[in-house]
Amino acid sequence: MFNTANSFCSQRAWQLASLFAAAFLTAQVGGAKEPALETISLYLNVEKDGGLITGLTQGNFRLYLDGKPQPFRLEGPEEPASIALLVEYSASSGYFLDDLNASMQGFLKHAPEGHWYALATFSRELEVHTDFTKQVGEITAAYSQLGLPAWNEIDTYDAVYEMIDKMGRLSGRRILIVVGCGLDTFSEHSMDQVKAKVESEDITIFVAALGSLFRGSYDQYLNSSARLSLIQAQAFLQMMAQKSGGFAWFPNHFNAFPDVMQGIMQSIATQYRLVYEPPPRNFGKFQKIKVEAFRIVNDKREDFKVLVRKGWR
Amino acid sequence: MAKLDFRGLLALLCSELLVANLAGCVGHRVALPEVRPPSQVFDPLSEELKKSYLTLFETASQFEYSDAQIAKMQEYLKQAQDYCVGRFENVSNEYQRRVDETQKTLKKPAITEEERHNLHCSIQDARALRGEADVISQQAIPVAYDNKRAKLEVIQKWPAQLKEIRASLADGTYKLRRWADVEDIGFREIEKDQQADIKLGQESIRDLKASGLMPKEIDDDAVVTYVKRVAEKVVANSDLHVPLHITVLNSKEINAFAFPGGFVFVERGLLEAVDDESQLAGVIAHEMSHVVARHGHKLMAKATVSSIIYQMAQIAAVVLTGGAAGIGTYYALQYGFYGLGLALNLNLLGVSRDFEAQADQLGIQYAWKAGYDTSGFIRFFDKMATKEGYVNGASWFRSHPPFYQRMVDSEREITYLPKQASPTVNTTEFAAMKEALTKVSAKAEEESKQRPSLISPEQSCPAPSKLLYEPDQPIEAICSTPQTVSVAKEPGN
Repeated sequence: MFNTANSFCSQRAWQLASLFAAAFLTAQVGGAKEPALETISLYLNVEKDGGLITGLTQGNFRLYLDGKPQPFRLEGPEEPASIALLVEYSASSGYFLDDLNASMQGFLKHAPEGHWYALATFSRELEVHTDFTKQVGEITAAYSQLGLPAWNEIDTYDAVYEMIDKMGRLSGRRILIVVGCGLDTFSEHSMDQVKAKVESEDITIFVAALGSLFRGSYDQYLNSSARLSLIQAQAFLQMMAQKSGGFAWFPNHFNAFPDVMQGIMQSIATQYRLVYEPPPRNFGKFQKIKVEAFRIVNDKREDFKVLVRKGWR
Repeated sequence: MAKLDFRGLLALLCSELLVANLAGCVGHRVALPEVRPPSQVFDPLSEELKKSYLTLFETASQFEYSDAQIAKMQEYLKQAQDYCVGRFENVSNEYQRRVDETQKTLKKPAITEEERHNLHCSIQDARALRGEADVISQQAIPVAYDNKRAKLEVIQKWPAQLKEIRASLADGTYKLRRWADVEDIGFREIEKDQQADIKLGQESIRDLKASGLMPKEIDDDAVVTYVKRVAEKVVANSDLHVPLHITVLNSKEINAFAFPGGFVFVERGLLEAVDDESQLAGVIAHEMSHVVARHGHKLMAKATVSSIIYQMAQIAAVVLTGGAAGIGTYYALQYGFYGLGLALNLNLLGVSRDFEAQADQLGIQYAWKAGYDTSGFIRFFDKMATKEGYVNGASWFRSHPPFYQRMVDSEREITYLPKQASPTVNTTEFAAMKEALTKVSAKAEEESKQRPSLISPEQSCPAPSKLLYEPDQPIEAICSTPQTVSVAKEPGN
């Protein structure tokens, strides 16, 4: 669930593990996740008027857990990050093909070297097409030969849930880029379950929302039912991004998707990492997080907007 | 710990039981070969087939095997290959059955989390073993037997060939062969207008870079400077009339490839695989010869770099998504398991035996002129064909098969060349490069181990199994009862 850090921390983990040996063994046998690890990395972006703010130092931040100030240190982001693309690819996504293609072109153009990238698509079920690789071209090349999608379903909730579950087993900085419309046709998981999953794993989710035609040219032709569905879909995507400390983009034209991908990559490149040792808490209960970012200009405090997860479950 | 040990033992026991069950499997050929020379012929001949081409070239004249004995051995090899392929195909099927059955067990109600974990580990292990069995049956065994047959041909035909070579040396007719004017190397024109290919090469490289598929370059000065020095030494003694651009890629693929216009790429895996400088020089000279003879220019009309990259990506995806069956496996074995260099070589150059023969001849001449031991090229072939490790990485070898004619032609060219006083086999710089490369490789391997994965999610499984296959072993050992061994687990794999 949380990131581990250095050898000092490993020693502490060992001591903790010894102290809670019985609980540890139970967790192993039962396959349950062990929450008691030593440090947490909290990734966030800082912005003002839509522009990303860089260059802040530790003194520019304040961290609160459940309303109480929490000591932390500002560290450089873990490199390389594990960045997975989760792309909607359904027979029902015909209207979104231009959006999709533009997204993938943008990804190829803007994804920086050095990170790990993976590609998965979903319709009825999740399919991993490219496991983590440092060669961005493998992602776009795999996408370019996907062939016709076989299923009409768009089981977004299941796909997001499963993807977070898979990525939750990895260590280090993890980022999920969802390229989808947000509609869901036949998932086993509910939106609440996905929400709880997002809250329980430290994976930042960025969204490039498909459906520019409906938000743009076709908007005036939508009936109220379709409009409502789109609003619900957008709310879901927005929820995922906000809960995880990421951001969701909703372009009105497919031409904007390369810029969206650039925006996502810029967000990833400018993430701050606050590292703290979590105080004891009741696991399972939602722990609220608040981060303030500011700087003092001419003796006046200038506050920034912080894109950070809302808390941990 | 005790629990893990128990699991390990259980997995080992299951593997052994599985292998034992294979006795009843059906496949290509269920019995060991029926045709076989008598043991007083078979045993020494089998030993000869394990020797290097160079040794066979030296000793073949002393053998007294009859054509009938050789023919019997050939028939034996044919049947042995069929039997061996069949055994490993059955192994593959058996592991697939194990996957299917375990998946059924997973669907049973009321299984505990521990049981589920063990079943996941079992599926993971069986899938990996099945993949290995496919590679062995479709790739390793055919190549190993091709190599044995080529050596058998050397034993049978080389003595006569050698007589012809000596005769042509005696009467001077060897000077009538193609590109015999080796004293004019550097002043010859093998193909006109090499310069016209520069633009094509640059465009190809641009395509390759834009695709995002080109491995990173090695940034270790000691390695790069050394490779460039060897390449420049060969260039200075070649018919290349365009500037040479050599790039060393940080990829474990055992390969080198060239684009028209003087752009040669050497991959890290090749540097790891070569044993001495003359082997490296031989491979670089071979690739450079493709540029000199403008082979890329001639073949690129048929296949652009973009189309090759697209094709390769398709194949890699087939493998990854579990569709590696039938034709998918064929292409996967052709390209998917190896990498960029192989795809480029096969599509641009490796499709033409004529071009390969030309590059072999010119490459040997350039290595000779540069003062290198010309046998390095053949020794590298031999190593790649014989060693166990080639199966998973030697893509240069895959696009350059060691068929008999090729070996003989290379040896003939070597024999025709004036003898060198003291040819360079190795240098201290080579050893220094190897030392520097160790650090580069270790770093790359470490990075590879850190590679996250969405594919193999089950953690804390017993050490995975690996199928044993050593091409030099008798088929009774490698095929009758395919063995598995437990190997240290590599994270991310």
